[in-house]
Amino acid sequence: MNIKTCFWVGVFITVISSWLIAIPAHAIENDECMECHSDDSLERSESEGMKEDLFIDYSRFKFSVHNINGITCVDCHSDIEELNWDNEVPHQVSLAMVECDGCHEEEGEAYLNSVHKKAGGKGITIPCYACHGYHFVTHLEADSVFERENKFCLKCHNPDNFHDWLPQKDTHFAFVECAVCHAPESPRYISLRFYDLISKKFLGAKDLLTALDTDYDGFMEKVDKDKDDVISLEELEDMVLLLRQKDVRGTFHGELVLELVPTVHHVNRGGANRECEQCHNPQSPFFEEVYIALNKEDGTGQRQKVERRVLESYYVNHFYAIGGTRVRYLDKIGLVLIVGGLSVVAGHLLVRIATAPARRKRKVQKDEFST
Amino acid sequence: MEDEKLMYVHPAPVRVWHWVNAVGFVILIITGIQIRFAEMVDWFSLEEAIQLHNYVGFVVIAAYGLWVSYYFGTMKIKLYFPNPRAFVPNAIKQIKYYGSGIFKGDPNPHHMTPENKFNVLQKNAYVGIMFVFLPAQMITGLFLWRVKRFENYIDLIGGIKIVSTIHVLLFFFFTAFIFVHVYLATLGHTPLAHFKAMFTGFEEHHESETADEAVF
Repeated sequence: MNIKTCFWVGVFITVISSWLIAIPAHAIENDECMECHSDDSLERSESEGMKEDLFIDYSRFKFSVHNINGITCVDCHSDIEELNWDNEVPHQVSLAMVECDGCHEEEGEAYLNSVHKKAGGKGITIPCYACHGYHFVTHLEADSVFERENKFCLKCHNPDNFHDWLPQKDTHFAFVECAVCHAPESPRYISLRFYDLISKKFLGAKDLLTALDTDYDGFMEKVDKDKDDVISLEELEDMVLLLRQKDVRGTFHGELVLELVPTVHHVNRGGANRECEQCHNPQSPFFEEVYIALNKEDGTGQRQKVERRVLESYYVNHFYAIGGTRVRYLDKIGLVLIVGGLSVVAGHLLVRIATAPARRKRKVQKDEFST
Repeated sequence: MEDEKLMYVHPAPVRVWHWVNAVGFVILIITGIQIRFAEMVDWFSLEEAIQLHNYVGFVVIAAYGLWVSYYFGTMKIKLYFPNPRAFVPNAIKQIKYYGSGIFKGDPNPHHMTPENKFNVLQKNAYVGIMFVFLPAQMITGLFLWRVKRFENYIDLIGGIKIVSTIHVLLFFFFTAFIFVHVYLATLGHTPLAHFKAMFTGFEEHHESETADEAVF
């Protein structure tokens, strides 16, 4: 065999073998799984009469973050290597636990040293899907505090049973995501959403952008006049004015939420922030990052940075952290009132003291006259 | 001092209300400063300041209830309402007195009696304070105490920041008021006469309230 023949045989073997190796990985398509798993009565018996539902609602799965990113059933259920349709169940009956940290390494690492993982030692196992759910994981970026809490912490915890030390706990629960205090290492930000006072509901990004006669890409171009990528208080005022011209009247609601970074999993007993002053002071880092949320319908969020001073304005009337986001010019009015009051007192007193001898003289004269 | 010269102008419920209210105001102002200016002062922790502010707030509301019950129960509330016809001339006389007459030793144009213990300017100021400013401060304070429970009312007013703004502006007003109020209380026939009367209930009667009151 000459060199040329050797080369072509080599190429042929490489192509064939790579094709053969690739087959099992791509052989099982989601459609094949759905042949059985689209049956809503599909279930299996567990011990003690318990039944496990094996039905997958594909119309929901379609919109899951994994499907959107091209992750297939067998990417996660990787122990299914082939389907044997001759068997009643075409794959092994008992599947291995899905290991999310195979892809989500950093999240897995942060979770290792958390109270939820440690609970495992006490006979409880809290796998990722206990909180995140199985097949219908969606984007959380666009979710409000209530939505985030309902999907996660409130599934197991009733915060009302604790937090008795916390003044106005209901108010904190409504405006601050649990993990803002319970995962204090994670960065957080204020998310502003526009509340339409006429329709009495939050205006979705689509409606807001339509009212402003722009789209996602054109939003900053329209609003951020000085092109510094931050919406200043003055620019926000102009935006509100533009909206009013289109008969859209509303106000911004604020919420304190977390950046969705791996450390949000690092929740530990005793590790929560309990210092009120951390938040309730105007220098608090909690209010450094402020964004207007322009949430998309698929649950992803686009957000634009806003100047912090906006929180101290009357455009954000429904978010107020005592001390933290106070309206500064009220303090100036207060100073004028108090200094004014004191000046009147001091001035009157001084004149009283200065004129006291004259009054004393007058009294003496009067007494002499009456005697 | 002869007994017949004494007038009972401040009945016991009014004195109790006054001093409970006064101490309450001072505590509310101090804790209010801690709450609003946490980064500047460090007298209490924010948690303690808020707890104390809330408790004392309710005491002040209860004291206000006592004031309302007493004045409306006895119908002495009439003390607070100036005669509309004589209001303008009386007010001018009183302003002239505070602005110049008092320095010369002129008599006070208003003669205190148990049935007419306030001059026209006091009546005007106290009607505003007791029927507008203080209730507004108490209501906004109540809303701020439980924001979630009162959220519908808060939304009606225009949001939590509006409620807070009213509360804060009144906080500054009442702080300024206390200084002026204490100073005006020194304008009796002796500097401590009105203070004494607010403890004993009795004010000395001076026929002409003349120059001797301002001699010090």
